[in-house]
This record gives sequence, structure tokens and C-alpha cells, in this order.
Amino acid sequence: MTLSREEWKRLLGPIGLAAALLACGVALLYAGGESLASARRQFSAAQAERRQNSERLERIAEEEREVKEKIDVYRRLRQLNILGEERRLEWADAVGRIRAQRELLDLRYMVDRQRLLSSVQGKPGKVDFYASTMKVELALLHEEDLLRFLADLRESGNAFYAVRKCAMSRTGQALTGATMTPRLRAECDVDLVTIMDRGAKK
Amino acid sequence: MPVRQVLYFTTEEHLLFRAERQGLDLVAKFSSDEAGLAAFREHLRSARGVLFAVVADLAGEDFHEEQIPYVRGADREALLGRRLAQRYRDTRLAAALSLGTVAAAERRNERVLLASFTNTQLLAPWLDALQEAGVRLAGVYSAPLIAPALAAALGARQERLLIVSANRAGLRQCYLERGRLRFARLERTVDVAPQALAGFIRSETQRLVQYLVTLRALPRDASPVQVLVIAPPAARSAFEQALHSDARLLFRTLDYSEALHALRLRRLPPGIAAEALYVHLAARKPPRVQFATREERRPYLLWQLQRGIVAAGTAALCACALIAGARALETMDVRDQAADEMQRARAAAEEYARITATFPITETSTDNLKATVVEFRRIAERSAQPERAFVHVSRVLQRYPQFELDSLRWNVATAGEQREAALKGLSLDAQAEALVLVELSGRVNATQRSDYRGLTAQVQQFAAALASDGYQLARTQLPFDVTPEGVLSGDIGAGDSNEAPRFTVLLARRLP
Repeated sequence: MTLSREEWKRLLGPIGLAAALLACGVALLYAGGESLASARRQFSAAQAERRQNSERLERIAEEEREVKEKIDVYRRLRQLNILGEERRLEWADAVGRIRAQRELLDLRYMVDRQRLLSSVQGKPGKVDFYASTMKVELALLHEEDLLRFLADLRESGNAFYAVRKCAMSRTGQALTGATMTPRLRAECDVDLVTIMDRGAKK
Repeated sequence: MPVRQVLYFTTEEHLLFRAERQGLDLVAKFSSDEAGLAAFREHLRSARGVLFAVVADLAGEDFHEEQIPYVRGADREALLGRRLAQRYRDTRLAAALSLGTVAAAERRNERVLLASFTNTQLLAPWLDALQEAGVRLAGVYSAPLIAPALAAALGARQERLLIVSANRAGLRQCYLERGRLRFARLERTVDVAPQALAGFIRSETQRLVQYLVTLRALPRDASPVQVLVIAPPAARSAFEQALHSDARLLFRTLDYSEALHALRLRRLPPGIAAEALYVHLAARKPPRVQFATREERRPYLLWQLQRGIVAAGTAALCACALIAGARALETMDVRDQAADEMQRARAAAEEYARITATFPITETSTDNLKATVVEFRRIAERSAQPERAFVHVSRVLQRYPQFELDSLRWNVATAGEQREAALKGLSLDAQAEALVLVELSGRVNATQRSDYRGLTAQVQQFAAALASDGYQLARTQLPFDVTPEGVLSGDIGAGDSNEAPRFTVLLARRLP
């Protein structure tokens, strides 16, 4: 059946309506598909979170043991003021006190600028390890004076003392009976390590 | 739903019915003269959007069986057109009905029944009126064309069946062969008592059967022909008494009300006879074959096309909605699963929090606690204190009193020093492990400088003694360089120098 122009015009309405219905159907399909994709994404995220939480729960016994093992070290670090801001005044006090107690003849020191040693990512914050190098020059009567000085320094706390270098040599000065003449001279580089825990409770 | 109107066309008068799902309403009656036609034209002016059908219940309908080659499509249409033109002078109201195929010796043929009205002029002006009004003409049917649908609706499925009804136009007799129309005739009746009408039916049926046998449309020695008679209201008992079955005819009488019930026709205008059955079926279950031409039905076909397009759009929407519905159900299911997963995740997190609440109270999080302690231990392990080296050197010096130290240098090796040590084969991994270096410089007393063999042996013994307790010998600088790489020098004859011979020993120790 060949259609005339007039008949084609009469078909335009139904064709438009059918196209609109089809468009509605396609829109429904699209909306349904998008909704399904969104739900699947939501499901994947929820599944991942559930897995993570479950695995963490399964590891909790090990974590408890680990916490119990490490908590003493952590507390000791805080107690010794290794955890926290640098305490340069306390370091100066400690050096002065040791010199006085050990009656060291001559003691000079210089603490360099603080530098970042390492940084570890934790949760909720990272943990930064800083070091400040202290250069010490000592005049010694006996080599044991150096060992006592280092031991006293460690005992004084306020940092972890990591000796990087120690050089000891004879002064070559002649002994006199009147004054105490140093026989040895020591030069040491000691890293004063402190820790900043950014996730620690204030 | 569109309004459907059916024009029941007889010789005397024409009745216009509005057909609904379960009922018929009489819209108008038209006389068969010019006045009736004018009234019909007037009616059509107000019948926009109505679907029309015509049921002609006329005497003088011709039926002729022929065989044509078994062809399909346009070829069949052209062939039938030629046969109809050969058979009938006026083919405006002619149709061909298929009676099935027959397998001939050489080719396959199709049996067709050519049908038309002997006097088409009765119908033509009325059909012209419909066409001029541009109404949607679904089809022009004759009562016999509808008879197979009526027999099927009444549950009569015999191989050979005569269906007889007393219509307004007269006594309608239709012969069906395997459910297909084979022959029909209309005999005028007058108002008589049921008993007399039954007798008339019996005699007319016997005549018709005799005629069909003569035509060879009915085999002479065939089994009895089933005759289904639709009795007028309240005439069934009289019909059953009068219509006795015999060896040739097997009568079955059906009450008019039963026929209406079988067709689910519940509402009728008063004074309507069995023609209501044909009119109702023409509106509800019209046969595929009818008499109107394609041009006469063009508005109807266009309307069907419009509805088809909208129906296709609706079907597409429904299909999309079904798929979208299925997706919505799946989405709900996935969301339920996600909610379940979230709940389990929360439960696990709460359980974790509950258990960790019993952990020792810390000033930081568990992660930071671990990170702090692990990294601090790593730094501490890579650090060293010089005391151990001093003690080791002191012990060795006690065994070698002739050695006197001028200087002692202890340091944790720098990256460059570690690489150098690794190259010297100290079995150290310069990248991974820390190294402590101890450099001793001093003099050898109580030995003649000229006794270079003795000096070399003593320094080597001293160095070997130092290379113990985890220390390895990295380098030894003797008073006399006897290595192939060094420069050996001497000052013989100038007299002995008072200066004690000097040496340097470099030790290395790997940190744990």
C-alpha cells in the first residue's frame, strides 16, 4: 500500500508518540542501568571495607601481642623525653652537669641544626625521626673520662644518643706537678635523635 | 476503545448495530430504498472515528470450487484475480477462500472457493456511501463467511456440518467441510409456528443435501451429515420433535439462548433473531477473507497502521520497562547485599573497637605505636657505642706492651667508607648493613728500627690479635711497606734514627 502525502501526515502523530514512548523506554533503561552500576560500586566498596575490617579483626590477637610488646618501649621513649620536641636547654644542662661531676678539664660542644632522619607513615599521622648532631671536644686525663662522659650523656635522657664518630689522640703536653695537664684530646660527633609522633594524643 | 458499528444488510431492510464486548445495541434501521440510503449518509456524517463492518445476508450468493496451482504472494493474488474476473462479471464484491491443498500427480494444487453476490447492485450504493464518507470500513462479510467462526464458537467440529439458523433475512443454511465454508444458501421464510418452521427446515435441509450430492460436494455414500439447528427462542422442544435424525442427517438442536451464551453475547435489542450471532462475530472475530477492496478499506488499514505504530512504541516501552524493572529488582538486591556488607563491616569495626578498648591505654594509635617502635629499633640497631671497641683494643694492648698508641679513631662508617670496605672483601653489604671502623695509629718500642723483619712480624701479630671478637682487619700500614702495591724505601748507613717505627691498623666490625 503506497501512502499519499496526506496519509503520511496522519501517521506523523503516531510516529511521534511511538518515538516518545521509545525514548521513555530508553531513558528507563539508562536510569535502571546507572542505578544498577551505582549499586554495584556501593556493594564493591562495602565488600572491601567488610573484608578489611574482618581481616583486621582476625589479626587482633597478633596485634594485641604486638601492642603489649611495644607499649613498654614507647612509654620508655616518652619517659626519657625522646618522644616529643627537642630539649636543647636540657641538653646544655646535662653537658654542664656532667663536666662538673666528672671534673673534666675542658669541654666544648656545638649542636648543629636539626635535620629529618626518617619519616614513617602511621595512622592517623606520620612519625618523624629527627637528629641534631652534637660535636664535642674534650680534654682528658685518661681515656676512661670519655667513656664516662658518653655513659653520663646517655643516662641524662632527653634524646637517643647515637655516637657517629670519636677520635682520641695524645696532646703531647709535658706533665707539670702544679696543674692538671690533659694528656688526651677527644673529638666526638653524637647524633641526638628525637621522635615526633604526629598521631599522638595531646 | 473505538466504537464499532455493523450494518446488517438484507434485501428488505438494513439494521445498524453498535457492537460492544458482550452486547449489541440497535443504532438505526434503514429501508433499502433511496430514503434509507440518504438516512444512512446522514448517519455517517456524525460517525467520525467509528469502525464499520457490513454483514450481508442475501440470497443469490454464488459459491464455486476451483483448483489453482499452489503459488503464494503476489502470484496467488494475481491468479485469483484472474479466476474471479473469469467467473464474475462484477468483481467488486468477490472473494476467494482456500479449501486446502490437493496433491495431484504432477503438481500440488490449491482448492479455492470463489464467492460473490449475483446482484452486487444492492450493496454497491451503500458501500459507495461508506467510501465517500471516508469512514473506516473493516470489511464486508456475508453471513456464510462468518459461519465457520460461528460453528467453532458453538463447539461444532464435525468434518461435515450443516449449520442452520432462522435469520431476519430467512433460513440460512451453511455447509462446512472440515471447518471451512463449502456452500450456503438463504431461503425466504414467513412467520409460521415453530412446528411448521421445523418441518420447513427438515425439508429444506434434505433438499440441500441432495443438491450437494449432485454437486459432488458431498459424497453419496458418506456417513450422516451433522445438522446443527439454532432454534428460535422457546422453539427447541418443537424442533426436537420435528427434526428426527436418519441415515442421512443427524440433527442437533441448539437453543438460541445457548448460542448467545456460547458467544458471550449478553445484551441484545428486542426483536432480533439469529442474525445477532453473525453480527457479533463480524465485530469481534471477523474472518480474514471478506469482500471489500483494498481501496474501500484504506482508511481502516491506515488506522490499523497508526495503531500498529503506537502499539510498537508501547511494546518497546513495555519491553524497556520490563528490562528496567528487572534491573531495578537486581539493584534492590545488590543494595540489600551492600547494606548487609556494610552492617557486617560495622559489626567487625565495633568488635575491633570493643576488643582494642581492653588493650593497654596508649597515648597514640596502634599504627603509630608500631611505627614508632619499629623505626626506633631499626635506628638503634644501626647505632653503636665506642666502649666495646675501646675495651677490645685495651685487652690486645695489654698483651703487646711494646706497642704504644698515638691516636684512636672510632666511627660509624659513612656510605663511601662502606662501599670501600665492601670492595676490600670484608663480606659486607654496603647497601644494607652498617659498619664500625676503628683506626689505630702508634709506635713500636723496644725494637731496633733496622730489624725490619722483626718489626713487620710484630705489627702483623698485633694486627692479627686485633682482628678478633667480631673485628676484621681492613688495612694495615707497616713501618716498612712490603706489599707489592706500596713503595719500599730505606736509609742505610746514615746511622740509626731514635724515632720509633710507626704503624696504622684499620679494623672493621659489622653492626648486628
